[in-house]
Amino acid sequence: MDYLYDGSFDGLLTSIYYSYYEQKAHGIYPEASYQFNMFTPSTVIQSDPVLAARVYDAIDRKISVYSLMQIYYVYLSNNPAKENLILKYLQLGFQLGPKIDSIHSHPEVLPIRQTAKKVSFEAERFLGLLRFTDTGSYLYAVLEPDHNILILLADHFADRLAGERFIIHDKKRNLAIICNKKEWYLSDSSEEAAIPDSETEQFYQELWAKYFTRISIENRKNKKLQSHFVPQRYRHNLVEFRKSELL
Amino acid sequence: MGTLEKLAVLADGAKYDVSCASSGVNKHNQGGIGNSKSFGICHTWSADGRCVSLLKILLTNYCIYNCNYCVNRNQNDIPRASFTPREVADLTIQFYRRNYIEGLFLSSGIERSPNHTMERIYQVLDILRHEYHFYGYIHVKVIPGADPALVNKTGLLADRMSINIEQPTEQSLKLLAPQKTLPVLFAPMNQIHHQMTQNASERKIFRHVQKFVPAGQSTQMIVGASKDSDLSIIKATETLYNRFQLKRVYYSAYVPVNEGPNLPALSTSPPLLREHRLYQADWLLRFYSFKADEIVNEQSPFLDTDFDPKISWALRNMQLFPLEINQASYEELLRIPGVGVTSAQRIIRQRRLGNISYNHLKKMGVVLKRAKYFITCQGCYYGGIPAESALVRQALTPVAKPVQLCLF
Ligand code: SF4
Repeated sequence: MDYLYDGSFDGLLTSIYYSYYEQKAHGIYPEASYQFNMFTPSTVIQSDPVLAARVYDAIDRKISVYSLMQIYYVYLSNNPAKENLILKYLQLGFQLGPKIDSIHSHPEVLPIRQTAKKVSFEAERFLGLLRFTDTGSYLYAVLEPDHNILILLADHFADRLAGERFIIHDKKRNLAIICNKKEWYLSDSSEEAAIPDSETEQFYQELWAKYFTRISIENRKNKKLQSHFVPQRYRHNLVEFRKSELL
Repeated sequence: MGTLEKLAVLADGAKYDVSCASSGVNKHNQGGIGNSKSFGICHTWSADGRCVSLLKILLTNYCIYNCNYCVNRNQNDIPRASFTPREVADLTIQFYRRNYIEGLFLSSGIERSPNHTMERIYQVLDILRHEYHFYGYIHVKVIPGADPALVNKTGLLADRMSINIEQPTEQSLKLLAPQKTLPVLFAPMNQIHHQMTQNASERKIFRHVQKFVPAGQSTQMIVGASKDSDLSIIKATETLYNRFQLKRVYYSAYVPVNEGPNLPALSTSPPLLREHRLYQADWLLRFYSFKADEIVNEQSPFLDTDFDPKISWALRNMQLFPLEINQASYEELLRIPGVGVTSAQRIIRQRRLGNISYNHLKKMGVVLKRAKYFITCQGCYYGGIPAESALVRQALTPVAKPVQLCLF
């Protein structure tokens, strides 16, 4: 039996609950992108926060917080097989308990580690690669990451920019973190901010672009290395590349 | 001069300083702006591929000194500028809010006197910390010869401080930076080290005591401006770590900016490979518990350019290998070429649950291409050739890449 869920983390955990207590899931897929086929029956799982919380707690108690975090990262990834990687990993995890954290090279564990690492790497990368513009009433940033990492940035910037209003907008998924000086929430729609061409804003953008071109040492030039660290696909959201025409 | 021009001039003068990492301290925002992450955050990468995490600028590029290797020495005829402390503070805050940077790295030429310059550096920190309540990362240069009291009050506001020794030996210092001597450079290093230790023990008793330089101190050495060997550099590094407990020693491949009888010609390209090997050697000192004279010695005072220093060491000590992966101690694992800190830890952890097979190793991050000549796994050796120094050396020698002919 294939389980179809609504794409939320709760929905995924609910499906895992049913797979344990009702019928075993053959696979779990997001309903929105599921390809029906004649031979595998499927059923839609209603996301249930209470059942999800039970699975969540069970992972925490019987396996480990580390594993819990890992599967959450995998859930945020763009890996098309992620639900099934998580399902298999948890099946093993409930057998082995916390030991699962030490068997890095196991075939059910390795893909989880690798995928989670990609996600956390991209999230860490955007702690640096995010650029805010001062619209006059709030700070606004746009990003288009490979993985759904937006939520992983929220606490960091809420702490860092306490006392400021800001919006971080994932344009690809049309999600936004909205922070009102203190608390933040995730909103599943956001408009692109109309950014006034304020003089101060332009001034700082120019200063930054100037600084950026000035600090590179001619005799050490290494564009390949630069491309490795700042891939082309991120550049159009970065002031210093836009302004210095290094896109 | 407008801010834009000043920034151009004062960023230019600071760019040869490589010690710009923002790591080493975890700090939360306490009702102002900013925090710090201990792992350090890179915000962008410049065209030379170097990470940009801090606004790295000079307060001024006027200097009363005349160090041979420095663009800012007083005999050079270059555009000069100075920021006011407030300009630097405003720039930092505005860049920081937009997430361009992780904090400030403030260095300076010596304008008028060491005390005058140090006082102005202090003022920048005073504005940032007390007026703007900035909790982000700040690294400042200590001006050698400045009053210890000034160094002290600056240290209470900075995250990291550094004094660049630039040259590893007294002779090359005499030759290239005649106004500086090692004792003058060591005095503030010693002071900072002392106060850090004292501060740490005071904080155990009185929680409210302000932290002094919580991210520690670092220094930089220029590589290739003088004739010093890697042995002198690595020995000096070891001494600095032991004597002052420095957090980091940075190496900067010398980029010729001046002409002079004691300097390499202007056409010399910066010794980047040598710089890279020195960083590798530095890792061996800091994380792999190697001693300086295991890495280089009087007979071969320069690091091998073909091999990283760990392989070179292993090739000179083949009698210690091969090591059995399932039995070697953590310290021994760390000495195997191709095994890093992470993979060594994974091996130790997974080993408790059962034997490790050769197949597992690759998935744990071990670079078998190198490691296979130095290990056995469940008693088997997978190197394919006898584990003898000359043969392994040959097998590991990088094949010269065929040179692409240029058509134009
Ligand atoms: S004291 Fe510093 S800025 Fe002045 S010449 Fe020497 S290295 Fe350059």
